[in-house]
Amino acid sequence: MLRQIFIVSSLNFKSLRGRFWQSMVIVVGLAATIGVMLSMLSLATGMRQAYYNAGDPGRAIVVSKGADQEGQSAITRAMAPMIAVAPGIAKDTDGKPLADRGLNMGIPVLRKDGSRGQTTMRGLAEKGQGVRPELKIVAGRMFERGKRELIVGTGAQNMYQHMQLGDKVILPDGEWPIVGVFTTGDLLEGQLLGDTETLLTATHKTNYNSVLVRLASPDSLATLKTAMTTNSALSVTVERHSDWYKRVASEQTFGLALLGYIVGAVMAIGALFGCLNTMYSAVSTRGREIATLRALGYGAFPVAVSVILEAVLLSVGGAVIGAAIAWALYDGKQDVFGGMIFHLSVSPAQFELGVIWAGAVALLGGLLPSIRAARRPVVEALRAT
Amino acid sequence: MKYFPLVWASVMRKPTRAILTLLSVMLAFTLFGLTIGMNATFDKLKEEARDDRIFVFARFGGLVPIAMARQIESVPGVKMVAASSGIGGYIQDPKNRVFVQMMDEKVAKVNPEYPITPAQWQMIRDNRRGMLVSRMQADRWHLKAGDTFVIASPMVKKIDGTASWTFQVAAVTPDISYMSQGYMFGNFDYMDKSRTLSDQSKTGQFRVLVSDGSKTAEIAQQIESKFANSPTPLQSLTEKVAFDVSNTGMDIAAVDRDIALAGMFMVLFLTANGIAQAVRERIAEFATLKTIGFSDNGVVALVFAEAALPCLLGAGLGVGLAAVLSNAIPRFLPPGQGLPIPTMTVMVLVWAVIAAALIAFASSALPALRLKRMDIATALSGR
Repeated sequence: MLRQIFIVSSLNFKSLRGRFWQSMVIVVGLAATIGVMLSMLSLATGMRQAYYNAGDPGRAIVVSKGADQEGQSAITRAMAPMIAVAPGIAKDTDGKPLADRGLNMGIPVLRKDGSRGQTTMRGLAEKGQGVRPELKIVAGRMFERGKRELIVGTGAQNMYQHMQLGDKVILPDGEWPIVGVFTTGDLLEGQLLGDTETLLTATHKTNYNSVLVRLASPDSLATLKTAMTTNSALSVTVERHSDWYKRVASEQTFGLALLGYIVGAVMAIGALFGCLNTMYSAVSTRGREIATLRALGYGAFPVAVSVILEAVLLSVGGAVIGAAIAWALYDGKQDVFGGMIFHLSVSPAQFELGVIWAGAVALLGGLLPSIRAARRPVVEALRAT
Repeated sequence: MKYFPLVWASVMRKPTRAILTLLSVMLAFTLFGLTIGMNATFDKLKEEARDDRIFVFARFGGLVPIAMARQIESVPGVKMVAASSGIGGYIQDPKNRVFVQMMDEKVAKVNPEYPITPAQWQMIRDNRRGMLVSRMQADRWHLKAGDTFVIASPMVKKIDGTASWTFQVAAVTPDISYMSQGYMFGNFDYMDKSRTLSDQSKTGQFRVLVSDGSKTAEIAQQIESKFANSPTPLQSLTEKVAFDVSNTGMDIAAVDRDIALAGMFMVLFLTANGIAQAVRERIAEFATLKTIGFSDNGVVALVFAEAALPCLLGAGLGVGLAAVLSNAIPRFLPPGQGLPIPTMTVMVLVWAVIAAALIAFASSALPALRLKRMDIATALSGR
């Protein structure tokens, strides 16, 4: 049986050259489908990646109850120290808890293309770098506590104007110089950082937005949670930092991903009909050949399988071409969407997705023609001109 | 028209092939409709954006004291300043997200294009808990005039310590095209007087109306500079800029065009192959046609018509399907995920027809040339 499938299939593939342009309909159809879908998804995937990278499972974020974005949350000056001393939080070398009072506000920026956008300016307090060890200064220096200074992420530097060392950022109490450039490998790279207390004063705010803590151990989240919920003076929610960003990511990228899949699905169905068409033609042009094989004693099943195999090979080939084009064009490219800076991503998982979609299209598109090929009475097929 | 049956017969020679081709073309044009229709929506939005309005809000987030409205009104050229602030929350289940825009009495004058009658605006003035709910939102939450319901808004706390905002539907009003999931408008005073003391007399944003549309950008700049050193620095965004999608930092219109183009490329390949194959198979027939007196151009026209029929039909059906999908999309989206919805304007259809005609032309050019040059005798002999 396998031998038969192999022989029939290799015969198929040998005759492919004669049907080159016809077969290209499948290849081009799937290349376009998968190329477009993965290009669109590169946006959602890249954004999601930037969020995921920011969410360290060894950290937990404390926000006011009901807030599902940092900007919505308010942690009062009275609450912050109570949170910091809670059990379950890791201690720094100086014995103080690794808990950082964070500030989070929007700030208008000018994009490189001249359009006006918005990015996030964050406040980091004294344990900011302890809680976020991924924060590395790559040029200049860290801002000094109590001073009106900012540091800027490499992404923001690439995508926005006036973000170089020495440039000034206008805040309510005057111009703050940029004294350093940092990387984190996540969405913070598109943002500006300064000292929490100084920023609070400058912007006339009274509350922090969140407290970010390093957990004593990955499972001390439960301890921390209990401590927070049993303290009646606190009205807060604690979430593992990685879970927090997973939720934020799915909320922020849902629409984009959905659009990608809708476009992908519409094109895939279009490609499916193209595939059906091509395979029906292929079966009918090769009717004689197939009938001859059948007359020689080859089974119906190998014939059917060979048709499907051909469809799969062409489709997957097309998908790989499309995915490769999407990858070459977009993977790793830095982009800005709304207030967020991230790298577009066409990951191996996306490649796989493309190949699976193509495989599915091919199976559906090859099935009916293969049945026709296998079922057609030999005598009739041989007689046909 | 006389030759239509002939074209029809050639197309339907292989019904399976014809139908599959048509379906494939149709879907590519569905995509064309969705993407180019999306661009039409963006264009419409930009066009409909009034040039004499500015949104003003706190530069670094948070609320703005209402008292600043009077200061903004004193900026030369400003005609009127309205306040609106949002209550974001949910009905019963956090999944059921809603967003209420609480409007003060001036919004009706600053946004006179809203499809709301003065009597309806008055309803939410008379009843502080009154709410104007657009058709789409009313359908979604099964609300009708007179219904009372509660929105839980963890972020907008009330002075009584709770976060439950009770509303009564005053009227169900027509939808506004660019609010793709509908809207809910409430009474600003209700929100202002009921919220935590520290947040009272503050608003999320101002809607500024200026008297001369040509000076809007200038005035927006003036408002920003006027308050640059105040405790609450402001940011102003003209409506033209706010409604311009290119302001997301990404050229979405170009992305849409690229997608449409990829779909068209697919169709071109499919149609070109189909027509080349059809001509190859029926070369003898075309020779016969020529023999009985069809001119070269006549035969060429026949081939073109054969290619154009599925393309044009597919374009029409595809754009139609796109229209149906566009209407259905808002219903499938979870609440709070407001995506712009494609609009099937006449121009979308015109572009689709142009694309279809171009594809038909491009794909029939080579086979037609072949027919034009063929030697009748050779073709008839089947060699």
